[in-house]
Amino acid sequence: MNAQTAKIREIAKELLEKQEVQMVIGWEKGTFFYNSTPVFITKPEDVERLIWDEYCAVNLAKLLMDYRHVEGKVALFVKGCDARGINRLIQDKVIDRGKTYLIGLPCPGMKDAGKAAELGKDKAGEAPLEAKCLRCTHPNPVVYDVLVGEEVPVTGKEDRFARIADLEKMSPDEKFEYWSKQYDKCIRCYACRNVCPACNCRECVFDQGQTWLERAVERGGNQFYGLVRAFHVAGRCIECGECERACPMDIPIMDLHHKIAKDINELFGDYEAGLDPEGPLPLGMYKTEDPEEFM
Amino acid sequence: MCNCNGSHNDNPLLPVVGKIIKIVEETPDVKTFHVTSENGKPFTPMPGQLGMVSIVDVGEAMFSVTTQGPEHLEFAIKRVGTLTDVLHEAEVGQSIGVRGPYGNGFPIDLFKGKDVLFIGGGIGLAPVRSMINYCIENRDDFGKLTIIYGARSPEDLCFKDDLFENWPKVRDTEVHVTVDKGDDNWKGNVGFVPAFLEQINPSPENTIALTCGPPIMIKFVLQSLAKMNFQPEQIVTTLEMRMKCGIGKCGRCNIGSKFVCLDGPVFTLAELNQMPNEY
Amino acid sequence: MKSLSKANLSQFLETMNSKVRVYVPVEQDGVSRFAPWSQDCQLVLDRNTINPPKRLFFPQTEELYEYQVDKQDASVKSLAVKPEPFVVFGMRPCDVQSLKLLDDVFLTKGYEDIYYKQKREQGIVISLGCPEPEETCFCDSWGVNPARAPLADIMMIESEDKYLLEAQTEAGEKLLADLSGQLTDQSGELPEGKPCSLKVKNEGLMEHLQPKFEDPVWAEICRKCINCGTCTYLCPTCYCFDILNRTRGKQGVKYRCYDSCMYPEYTLMAGGHNPRPTKKERVRQRFLHKLQYIPERYQELGCVGCGRCIKKCPVNLDITRVINQLWEVE
Repeated sequence: MNAQTAKIREIAKELLEKQEVQMVIGWEKGTFFYNSTPVFITKPEDVERLIWDEYCAVNLAKLLMDYRHVEGKVALFVKGCDARGINRLIQDKVIDRGKTYLIGLPCPGMKDAGKAAELGKDKAGEAPLEAKCLRCTHPNPVVYDVLVGEEVPVTGKEDRFARIADLEKMSPDEKFEYWSKQYDKCIRCYACRNVCPACNCRECVFDQGQTWLERAVERGGNQFYGLVRAFHVAGRCIECGECERACPMDIPIMDLHHKIAKDINELFGDYEAGLDPEGPLPLGMYKTEDPEEFM
Repeated sequence: MCNCNGSHNDNPLLPVVGKIIKIVEETPDVKTFHVTSENGKPFTPMPGQLGMVSIVDVGEAMFSVTTQGPEHLEFAIKRVGTLTDVLHEAEVGQSIGVRGPYGNGFPIDLFKGKDVLFIGGGIGLAPVRSMINYCIENRDDFGKLTIIYGARSPEDLCFKDDLFENWPKVRDTEVHVTVDKGDDNWKGNVGFVPAFLEQINPSPENTIALTCGPPIMIKFVLQSLAKMNFQPEQIVTTLEMRMKCGIGKCGRCNIGSKFVCLDGPVFTLAELNQMPNEY
Repeated sequence: MKSLSKANLSQFLETMNSKVRVYVPVEQDGVSRFAPWSQDCQLVLDRNTINPPKRLFFPQTEELYEYQVDKQDASVKSLAVKPEPFVVFGMRPCDVQSLKLLDDVFLTKGYEDIYYKQKREQGIVISLGCPEPEETCFCDSWGVNPARAPLADIMMIESEDKYLLEAQTEAGEKLLADLSGQLTDQSGELPEGKPCSLKVKNEGLMEHLQPKFEDPVWAEICRKCINCGTCTYLCPTCYCFDILNRTRGKQGVKYRCYDSCMYPEYTLMAGGHNPRPTKKERVRQRFLHKLQYIPERYQELGCVGCGRCIKKCPVNLDITRVINQLWEVE
């Protein structure tokens, strides 16, 4: 057991014993060594289940939505991306910061569970980081009540827009062919939406019968789904990469989100969502000097 | 085993396209549609069985067949959603898709030789009516018929001709009607169905009670029947779930391992007590 | 028994494909699934596909009938078409077992689903046994032998530099006879494979679960579920579907499409009532359907232990761990 795991258990135990929170949401070990999975601790004696290791990739922020109406506080462990997810939910008026207790964990980056599984336990150390971690710009929590351990530097990571540079070079026909192939795989399980902290609408447009989108799983509908979701989270996507990690069909969903983020930066100035819940949203405000090339 | 009575083709999901030949406005939000097809009655259901009704370019939904004639089926349909909105706008001559009959229907043998107590609320009288009319058509097979029915207001009473004209004339038959809230012309009882039932206080002896209505009414009717010493084996009700295929394949209408479209919609309370409480 | 040199597999598939359409497990655009054989396809034979082969018999989206409307008039025409015979090559024993359940659902209890039946009757299954199950596999806990698929037309298993094939039905024998030029006679028995490392306790599970519907454990189990449809859409035994309209002007198509008990809409009624309003009811439905309701209704397994849901659940809500947790409930 690493020192931080001991520390997080101690913190969780104290919070529950003093009844400062009624639940602690963290991670526990899952089926295999490469699975760390969300756990909900309500009794001090259960804190031994909590762990903090290199497979805690699941963003816990979204899970807090189930507890927004309960009495009392809920504590949550937050990496950089979970913390930005929390800010997302606060800014979208979904959760109340006053009802959460955030335990910050500086994150060295999580291992790619799929690759680790292929390499096996003995060689798992050689597994690369999750794609979402390679492009992470904020490994340290941007909001917390208590921080466990020292802040980590942003090191050895890829430029978050590197992957889309190649896509941008494609002709429109090539782009269409590329994205058609990707979204032809989509099975419309909505895992990308359901893990996404920015997808927090009370009722999703895609759950309103066939009002906006047919259920038939086919090229046009799948692409419509992917594009509409990308635009609905434009300027609000916290780039946690959960959509892409959760996708069972390995669709490079983050490329859509990064492309939009890059365009927003170019049009309205550099912006990263989920850093400041009070600040203006680039697509949620109007300035007279905004570019309007389409006019 | 198949309840099809030989009527469906080899593709049970393909409807027969028939026509609406008559529309009766029962209440401000309930209409009864008389449907027939080129080959006469699309199918011959037993009381309590269901039919999948569609406006072919809009959608399909399951309804109980409220009664039938030699050449047609009748569906009493309340306006609640997309399909029923379109149905309510339809006129005589409109093409209607129908497939069925589905479900188990009422357990006729259980009723035979016994007094029958019918308790209906609102549109819940629609399935009950199929059994009432069956009892009337086979009058000698059943004992006394007691019909207790309630609706929100006098204008919300369905099948007024049956309630006030046809059924009271039948031998050894009582019809009791109540409304939650009366109006200036209403001379009958005012009050909820469960209380009205307790006031009438029918005997459970050699009696089968059949109840159908809004879930909240059924809940309190069951409590009243228990008070009056009706046993779960003597109480029959029908359930409603979202359905798509009607033939036990599409999955969603299950309650535990039972499918409401195949194994229901009719269950005795004794059977329901054995099933998970998830309906 | 016949044998086929591994080096000749491509030729074998090519020859077979010239007689009858052959579907094979492939990796395509980063995901594995069954697709029509072609010389340049990337075969996946070292593990099972992520997309289950049930899609060949029960596609995610399937047209049922077409219709024409004109003012008050309407007509319908069935789109059920019997396909040409086809071969599914390389189906794993767990997935072959799943066809048994799909047969029970689609072909019994009073009604036959013609769309499924037509495909099922025309499909010839060549099962590829698993010499060494993946770590997410647990089919043998349900009584499936990872190296045997009794329902397959032909059983095939790897043995060093060759595949051994045994016909198990008349259709299988005929197919092997048609391809005899590619095959060598071989004596002996098909080899057994290794058992799965992942295990669950199966015996008495249905009876154990019958009184657990109201147990508070469901409120615990459901907590981390995000109610996506991944597990249900990748599951080889999940069969629930929705029926929908696609209307364009005066004509349209009635089609069906996979649905999932994980979605709130699945049981939502027109009047607004929902018998399964929260994820607790929906998660309970999924697990009890597999482990209690299907065994009660069809005396058949509702899970075949393929492990796809374990592999792909975004939050590792693992059915084997859920079963263990349920066994702990008194």
